[in-house]
Amino acid sequence: MNVRNAATALVVLLATALLFWPDSGDQEEAVPAGRKEVIFWHFWGGDDRRVVQDIVARFNRSQNEHFVRAIAMPGNNLDLKLFLAVTGGRPPDVINQDDPIVADWAARGALMPLEEIATQQECERLREWLFPAAVDLCEHQGRLYGLCNGLDIRALYYNNTMLKKYGLTPPRSIADLDRIAEKIPANDLPANARPGGGNGGKRIRFGYLPDARRLWAWAIVFGGRWTDDHGNVVLDDEANIRALQWMTSYSRKYGPRTVTAFRQGDQSLPGKSFPLLAGRYAIVMDGQWRTRDIAAAQKRQQAQGQPVTEYGVCPLPPPPGGRALAGWVNGNFFLLPRGAANSQGAWEFMKFWSGFDGHEADAAQTCAEGGWIPVSKAVVDQPRFQAFLREQPLFREFVALAAEPFQKPTPIVPGAPFLYREVVSTAESAMYEDDPPAARVLLQRASENVARHLKRFNRRAATP
Amino acid sequence: MNTGASSTRRRHSGRIVTALLFIAPWALGFLLLVLYPFAASLYWSFCEYDLLSPPRFVGGANYRRLAHELLNGEGFGRAVWNTAYYAVASVVLSVLAGVGLAVMLSWKVRGQAIYRAIFFLPSVVPTVAAAVLWMWLLDPGGGLVNHWLTAVGLPAPNWFKGVQEALWPPDWWSGRAAFGSKDALVLMSVWGVGNFMIIYLAALGDIPKSLYEAAALDGAGNLRRFWHITLPNLSPVIFFNIVMGVIQAVQAFTQVYLVSEGRGAPAESTLMLSLHIFLAAFQNLEMGYASAIAWMLFVVLLAATAALFHSSRYWVHYQGGSP
Repeated sequence: MNVRNAATALVVLLATALLFWPDSGDQEEAVPAGRKEVIFWHFWGGDDRRVVQDIVARFNRSQNEHFVRAIAMPGNNLDLKLFLAVTGGRPPDVINQDDPIVADWAARGALMPLEEIATQQECERLREWLFPAAVDLCEHQGRLYGLCNGLDIRALYYNNTMLKKYGLTPPRSIADLDRIAEKIPANDLPANARPGGGNGGKRIRFGYLPDARRLWAWAIVFGGRWTDDHGNVVLDDEANIRALQWMTSYSRKYGPRTVTAFRQGDQSLPGKSFPLLAGRYAIVMDGQWRTRDIAAAQKRQQAQGQPVTEYGVCPLPPPPGGRALAGWVNGNFFLLPRGAANSQGAWEFMKFWSGFDGHEADAAQTCAEGGWIPVSKAVVDQPRFQAFLREQPLFREFVALAAEPFQKPTPIVPGAPFLYREVVSTAESAMYEDDPPAARVLLQRASENVARHLKRFNRRAATP
Repeated sequence: MNTGASSTRRRHSGRIVTALLFIAPWALGFLLLVLYPFAASLYWSFCEYDLLSPPRFVGGANYRRLAHELLNGEGFGRAVWNTAYYAVASVVLSVLAGVGLAVMLSWKVRGQAIYRAIFFLPSVVPTVAAAVLWMWLLDPGGGLVNHWLTAVGLPAPNWFKGVQEALWPPDWWSGRAAFGSKDALVLMSVWGVGNFMIIYLAALGDIPKSLYEAAALDGAGNLRRFWHITLPNLSPVIFFNIVMGVIQAVQAFTQVYLVSEGRGAPAESTLMLSLHIFLAAFQNLEMGYASAIAWMLFVVLLAATAALFHSSRYWVHYQGGSP
């Protein structure tokens, strides 16, 4: 055997040994004797995963009957994995989701309603206990198909330092918001500077700029609705049309191409930082998770001896005849796949996490550590969470909004993923095309598309 | 005599068994992973099927829906238009760029091998990495491409975020035409033209030198030699690359998914057929409808390839006559 052959043989041997080397680094913890395993699928990563692992550990310590095993997987194919698992008869016991799929999956028979695992009395108490938005997110045809464990609320963040500089105050109406958008200058050049001089007269900021995806929120604020009293989808509700017309007025004023380019620029900021912190806007709509970014940025400014920029949060301002304290809500919720082996254990874990039935203090700790909005006032009132709110005053505004009745989710109807994409695409057409059809025409067209989709869905569901 | 014949037969059948055993893994894989899904998707295209309950036969309902959407320009119709735009533009530009680069890279100049490697490099970059790279390069606000365009006084398009289409309607003279999301995808595909270029280069090397010498003796200039010798001799390879290019363009998914937020954004301007199939199957759980689109895609590709083969007799020239 020559040297080359010997070397090749050695490499092959080493590769084979590595391939079959026992995996000692990530061994699963065994289920303690006498306890039943609860398989829990979720999609949290990064810092959030650490919080999840901590909750699971706390639950497991508190139990002598069930043992939760958390399995993290990529969110974009969790759905498909679940369907294959349900079809194959071995679904997980509980999963966590944040897409508007409850009615869609429930209507297909993939989910078990809570009424089948909890008593009638327990379900009634749960409805009373939850914020209205947390009930809305999981309710389909009068039954709860999931338990919400955290809400996501949108509000307006404003740069108060910038507003004060131009003699403005936080918006209390749509007219105020329009005035702010008008008054905040596009750049820092003197008003009489020639275009092309200095920074080229280039726009470096907007006072405010609507985002196509936020039609979900503005439509509710304008007094609109997505479904009528019979559950029919009515995207072309008059108030929805007015909301889209108002959003489109910005792209008509500044030009759709300018608006698109500026919006895209938000995403290319280093580390995708919050564009409000980069000074690109005076006002931005976003969720409660940005309060951490703001606190960190202020701390950095303080440490560097710079003047600390003042930020604030306010509800979405309504137009005349619109709704105050309204908006779009979504959140995370637990779902019980039908056919799971240990739904009872899953139910205990869901209650522990969300705080229902005596677990309020545990949930308060979870929400404070994760920076999540609780789903019940009972959790908000816990000392641990109140302490968190004292540290994060901006967060308090979001928590206050969570209890409001007109924080509405994407309609919980079958075919909601299709509906969601249709509404966002319609708003994008209206705002970003050069010569789009009128907002009314676009929303009517979208409404017809969704109605056709739902008709197909219902026909399928009605056929045995 | 008889013993000899039966022994030969035994040996023969033994060889057949051995051969069958050798091809068994492939045959099994083909049957289970190719033929079965192929046949199953054809059946499902006539069914309503949501993965969670058994397929239910609905006749031609899915195909009628496709026809309706095609006529109204919604859903499938939109995807067909987007795909056709992308396929035609990217294939035409890939042929032009591929032939042009190959001809230039065939010139005997110092550093020829390095130039060839440089132009081939993009085609070995993984699609995901290339898509992310181009999203940065073509960022409307801070991208390098718009920075350069602005520096030389040209308008800065919105690229992946624009709903505009530069090539249709053809109104460049109005000053309103602008590059949009599909044009950016076309640009990205032309950047990866290295694979086709290598094939053109190989074909260029096969063209007999005597043809160029004869043409030179007859007084033909560079342009005439290119037009009357190079192009006709390259035509079989151009034909092959067009067929392969159309198939690749129509099946483009990864880069489309990445640049379009996985939903054909903005405003469905990047909703290609492959993405439409994905959304229908795995988000709307309409596996039957998705199968029908896949079959229409197959039929369209078959028809396009057949049409290309049919047209090839008029413009493809094989040395020594037709193959």
